[in-house]
Amino acid sequence: MIGIRNFAALLVATLIGVPAYSQIRTVTLPSKSPIVTIRLVFTTGSFVDPDDKPGVANLTAAMLAQGGTRDLTYRQVTEAMFPIASTVDREVDNEMTTFSGSTHIDNLEAFYKLFRSMLLEPGWREDDFKRLKDNTINNIRVGLRGNNDEELGKEVLYSQLYRGTAYGHYSAGAISYIEKITTDDLKRFYQRHYTQSNLIVGIAGGYPPEFLDRMRKDFTVLAARDNDPAPAIKPPSIDHTRALIVEKNTRSVAYSFGFPIDVKRGDPDYPALLLMQSYFGPHRMGTGRLFQRIREVRGINYGDYAYIEYFPRGGNLMEPPPNVARRSQIFQIWIRPAEPPQAAFALRLAVYELDTLVKDGISQADFDRTKEFLTKYVNVLTKTKRAELGYAIDSLYYGIPDYNSYIKNAVAKVTREQVNATIRKHLRADRLQIVAVSANAEGLKKQLTGSGPSFIQYNSFKPADVLAEDKIVERFDIGLHPDDIEITAVDKVFQ
Amino acid sequence: MIRDLFLLLFTATFLRAADGKVFPFPYTQEDLPNGLRLVTISTDFPNIVSVYIVVQTGSRNEVELGKTGFAHLFEHMMFRGTEKYPPEKYNEILSRAGAASNASTSNDLTVYHTTFSKEDLPTILAMEADRFENLQYSLEAFKTETGAVLGEFNKNSANPGSKLGEVVQDTAFDRHTYKHTTMGFLKDVQDMPNQFDYSLKFFDRYYRPEYTTIIVTGDVDPKQVLTLVDKSWGGWKPGSYHADIPAEPKQQGPRESHVDWPSPTLPILAVAFKGPAYSDTRKDTVALDVLSTLAFGPNSDLYQKLVVREQKLDTLGTRSPISVDPDLFEIRARIKRPEDMQYVREEILKTVELFQTELVPVDKLEAVKSRQRYSFVMSLDNSEAIASTVSRYVALRRTPDTIDKLYALYGQLTPEDIRAAARQYLVESGRTIVSLTGASK
Repeated sequence: MIGIRNFAALLVATLIGVPAYSQIRTVTLPSKSPIVTIRLVFTTGSFVDPDDKPGVANLTAAMLAQGGTRDLTYRQVTEAMFPIASTVDREVDNEMTTFSGSTHIDNLEAFYKLFRSMLLEPGWREDDFKRLKDNTINNIRVGLRGNNDEELGKEVLYSQLYRGTAYGHYSAGAISYIEKITTDDLKRFYQRHYTQSNLIVGIAGGYPPEFLDRMRKDFTVLAARDNDPAPAIKPPSIDHTRALIVEKNTRSVAYSFGFPIDVKRGDPDYPALLLMQSYFGPHRMGTGRLFQRIREVRGINYGDYAYIEYFPRGGNLMEPPPNVARRSQIFQIWIRPAEPPQAAFALRLAVYELDTLVKDGISQADFDRTKEFLTKYVNVLTKTKRAELGYAIDSLYYGIPDYNSYIKNAVAKVTREQVNATIRKHLRADRLQIVAVSANAEGLKKQLTGSGPSFIQYNSFKPADVLAEDKIVERFDIGLHPDDIEITAVDKVFQ
Repeated sequence: MIRDLFLLLFTATFLRAADGKVFPFPYTQEDLPNGLRLVTISTDFPNIVSVYIVVQTGSRNEVELGKTGFAHLFEHMMFRGTEKYPPEKYNEILSRAGAASNASTSNDLTVYHTTFSKEDLPTILAMEADRFENLQYSLEAFKTETGAVLGEFNKNSANPGSKLGEVVQDTAFDRHTYKHTTMGFLKDVQDMPNQFDYSLKFFDRYYRPEYTTIIVTGDVDPKQVLTLVDKSWGGWKPGSYHADIPAEPKQQGPRESHVDWPSPTLPILAVAFKGPAYSDTRKDTVALDVLSTLAFGPNSDLYQKLVVREQKLDTLGTRSPISVDPDLFEIRARIKRPEDMQYVREEILKTVELFQTELVPVDKLEAVKSRQRYSFVMSLDNSEAIASTVSRYVALRRTPDTIDKLYALYGQLTPEDIRAAARQYLVESGRTIVSLTGASK
């Protein structure tokens, strides 16, 4: 049972003067499990980073979760958490900042006291700040730019598509700006954005009944005031297909490409578009159309997927993480690294598949199968209490019923014609933003322009229908001209 | 009602810490006449069922020169279908079941796992049985799949940590198959398209009931599961192959190696020692595991010094061996400035020496024991996680029994046990140090 207790109370709070802590929203999933999970989500994040200091939201959360408290050093916090095997994890995205942790019911009191102090009485020590700032810079320089071509491509795609908007920077910031951030910036951010009205308290498991009220009361020490109105996120329109090649010394070529869509969870077209995604490119599954045509039939790479919602760390996660909800989303295709001789063909093939999807839609048989898939797969998405709680918080944010019922009910009603009409309405194979991470950028640039050809060679026999299709794909014009392709060195990215 | 019972079982078992019992779920274990083993664990997590099929074959079983990476290749080939269930039909059924399905390979096992709604259990079990017994793939499909495997190698190759791991294993081992990683050597992966016949041989050897254990967890009735498994898996013929895995000779002195990474990256230092094989009867497996936490974990003096106070490192981690044969105990540090490499190395070796000479305080040891138990129990919070955890132990001893035995040993550990393990295994003659540095620009 999901309790969204005072969503309504929030709406009337200012009218009838109920106690201030009514501004705090709660989501509860009580059960008899001895494991208690707490998720505190602040509906704030990198979209309110100061213009000249992208990265403040991220570092503020890092200081709370991985710095000390007013009374305890970071070492004392880790020592206290150690025997109970609990931690406080944090995630900062554009619109949400999440602090989460689980503990055994035996240790709820000890865990909660630490959790509460970390969030409400941060230590703001300079040595913790220096360590976390270094870590953030190293994560960008080494973790992202150095070691993870695929995630890098995805994040660059977002920054390209949202250029000039509050979503236009990487949520962890950019190195030269992060270097200038001070603890005073973080304190100001904390005071301004860690407010009661931004807070959603989520809790699941066998916690005592009075525990929730205690938490809500404790968090009334946060500022009680209405939030600043959030600026609308309007990504600039794309008038023709363009590409950015991030050049680095790497073995193979990774791509991400797409465009913003005007559909998010809760919108009338969302369920139909989700069904499209489940057919065309379900994450890390062998059943998707893209995966079948690029990997299974042709053996070009390790996998190929499509998304209609932000999905960070896709290389490590099997299911999307909750609480990265956004007010604006993109459609994107992720092509995992391809060997350089096949890389240009791989991109042409993915765009060709997208073009075919838009023109032909989904067949009746694929529609029926995918409908059945989605109706059951939502159970898998929420298989842990942690995920169920996260999804419930997202549902509160988007103003929809619990996710499972929302999807099951909507999918039961949707028709193939509606799905195909939704595809035609929101998707396209032109006016794309493409991002490639590759060595020899000039060489790739030459192969991607015009109508090719980008030949492909196989080490094995391929059926006639595949070879015939290859003839089309080799010369499939993705609409790129030399002037539309920009090249940037990897050390300039998020710098 | 069922939930109440679950709580009772869960809490009561957990609190019976003195018995050493830590695995809170009742389970059944059955052996079919063909040698296949079935472990069924009923949980009260509703609707969902997880099926984990563990084949006790990993990169450890790749005994022939030039044939590394084949256990992992099979993880891929197994999705290439049978006569009865060609790939399209297999995918169609999985898709209609709303299933999350995948597989993974490590040094000791290959595991195939599917999580789905309980009503599809008969269909999934029958379809899985068919592919284990009757996998059939053409030369063309084989060659195409080797391309996907090379693609996987490529996506891993962007990370210097993968390369470092490869060099650590290659340097530390001479004869045992732990010398190579699960992905295999690049030259072998590139040669895979030419090894169709060998692939058939590999399948014939290892994809047999005596190497296989099926774990079913979730909202299920063990009797029904046994009937279903007996029906669809009972006819699978056992094999007769036993891999002759070469024993590693005792290392006679310290070894070193270095990796020049072609792009800019932070330097990494790996300090590895030859450790023991997994054991649920001797204390060395658990002693080294606890030592790794006490000496190098986030709460350790060294971590607090190098990561938190002096901020020389951005990460410090360890891998304690839990493998069928003697494997490496490894400490890995990512260093912020190249000039600190030597200092960090000395600090790590000083810590190792300290654990060989001093006894750890009892209260610190007890805190680790508490942590181990709580983190184990908390990890079992859904049917898939339970099956996943059990599969790791099934790869080692083919039964969840080993979990309680192991945790009983954790409970008995003394400071002397920790020191003895450090003296026996963390020694210079069994040491391998590998450093990695990136290009300056």
